[in-house]
Amino acid sequence: MFTKWYEKNGKDGEVVISTRVRFARNLEDYPFPIRASANIKKEIAEKVKDAVLNNNSVIATRFSCINMDNIDTGKKVSLVERHLVSPEFISGNEERTLLLLDDESVSIMINEEDHIRLQVMTEGFDLDKAYELASRIDTLLDERLKFAFSDRLGYLTQCPTNLGTGMRASVMLHLPALRATKAMRKIAENLTKLGLTIRGAYGEGTDPVAGMYQLSNQISLGISEKTAIDNLKNITKQLIAQELKARNAICSQTVIQDRVYRSEGTLRYARLISCDEALKCLSDIRMGITSGLVKNISLDTINRLIVEIQPATLMQSIGKNLEPSERDEERANLIREAVL
Amino acid sequence: MLCQSCKKNQATTHIKNIVNGELTEKHLCSECAAKQGYSNVFENMFDIGSFMSGFMGEPSFALATEKHCPNCGITFSQITKSGRVGCSKCYDIFYDRLLPSIKRIHGNTFHTGKRLRKPQLESGENSKSEVKTSSKSELELLSDELQKAIKSQEFEKAAQLRDKINALKAEQGGNQ
Ligand SMILES: [Zn+2]
Ligand SMILES: [Zn+2]
Repeated sequence: MFTKWYEKNGKDGEVVISTRVRFARNLEDYPFPIRASANIKKEIAEKVKDAVLNNNSVIATRFSCINMDNIDTGKKVSLVERHLVSPEFISGNEERTLLLLDDESVSIMINEEDHIRLQVMTEGFDLDKAYELASRIDTLLDERLKFAFSDRLGYLTQCPTNLGTGMRASVMLHLPALRATKAMRKIAENLTKLGLTIRGAYGEGTDPVAGMYQLSNQISLGISEKTAIDNLKNITKQLIAQELKARNAICSQTVIQDRVYRSEGTLRYARLISCDEALKCLSDIRMGITSGLVKNISLDTINRLIVEIQPATLMQSIGKNLEPSERDEERANLIREAVL
Repeated sequence: MLCQSCKKNQATTHIKNIVNGELTEKHLCSECAAKQGYSNVFENMFDIGSFMSGFMGEPSFALATEKHCPNCGITFSQITKSGRVGCSKCYDIFYDRLLPSIKRIHGNTFHTGKRLRKPQLESGENSKSEVKTSSKSELELLSDELQKAIKSQEFEKAAQLRDKINALKAEQGGNQ
């Protein structure tokens, strides 16, 4: 088994949990999914599968192919919880097929909003690595598939928001201290002006309890991939510095230390824990580890738990469907063993 | 279906999400969707087809004059309604009408990123657009005028133009 990107801590891992680069691509000769019949979508899926699985690249043999019609809801939801596909992708439209690399770092969604959504994920802060891999696969596939491209508008996509490079680059940030100091609203406002968006990464709303955010570029036309990535990199670096400074300041306060140690107690001893409470505690511990308050737990473990405690993923690993209360018990067991 | 956020307006935007292990869908009106950062990119676009049908009380008008993409069959009002473009050719066919939205979204209208293939010859591109302007039919010219009249709220003139267009359409239909 390969270690998955969400099971390890990467560059600037105190603040950046993971990096993602995603390209939207369409085949020149076919209508976009909204105007394509089931038969056409099937044909597209076959073409893309053939291009990915039957080429001479070293990674071709490492992909597996999953037809969304052939797996149960639990498996589908778990794919979303592991950030391998979008919620849209599992929402019951026909002929959706996923090509997934064995270490889950590359996923190719077929017949989502566009014919192809190619996504590369890495642990930590590594936009260059994610972009280079995504771009290499993109170039390889274009030779076989000929992507819809216009001199003026760049890569042509079903929704005009993705025109141009078709690229969304994003980083998942853990910003508990900036959230605690109520700085996020102002930061979000300023980011919008710079062509970036920030959203809560788990659950709903703009004020996520676990302090995890997704920061991404918003504009893809008239800006090169390199410029968009450099912008994102610079802003991320600034946010990392601000977050670490804020952590330093708040982690000397007794009220924050109390919260971190209570969360540690909960994770070490609880017998029942909901997903929300677990995420909140893991967030506190994560901050506690990087500030030297919590010892003997690694960031690798925390990152892995953030994914493994999600309801559908938890049930996948147990191997059966569970009632919420049963889930809470299994979740508490999983965490206790991991942080022992 | 009512908007889940304000519980007043009709829900037009549907957002999928995973909450507690289940796939859920949030239904929002366009205002609430915009507030939460989701919106149809064509929402605020001036759409002549739906405007005219509301203004004249003649829904058939929009259908009769609307151009379909010859490749995928979609019309411009279908594009603005769904927020989705039908195929790559649509971007040529409806280029002028899509451009304002594209500009509003990106602040730009020209790609500067990755290019795998050499750009087509400039002359080819130019001659194509020249042909397009010179071959504008009377119908298209009238439609342009109509759009201008509506924009400047000259509704009487708009009504006259509409009648002219319909007459011309009937004439062309009879000739075929
Ligand atoms: Zn509303
Ligand atoms: Zn079309």
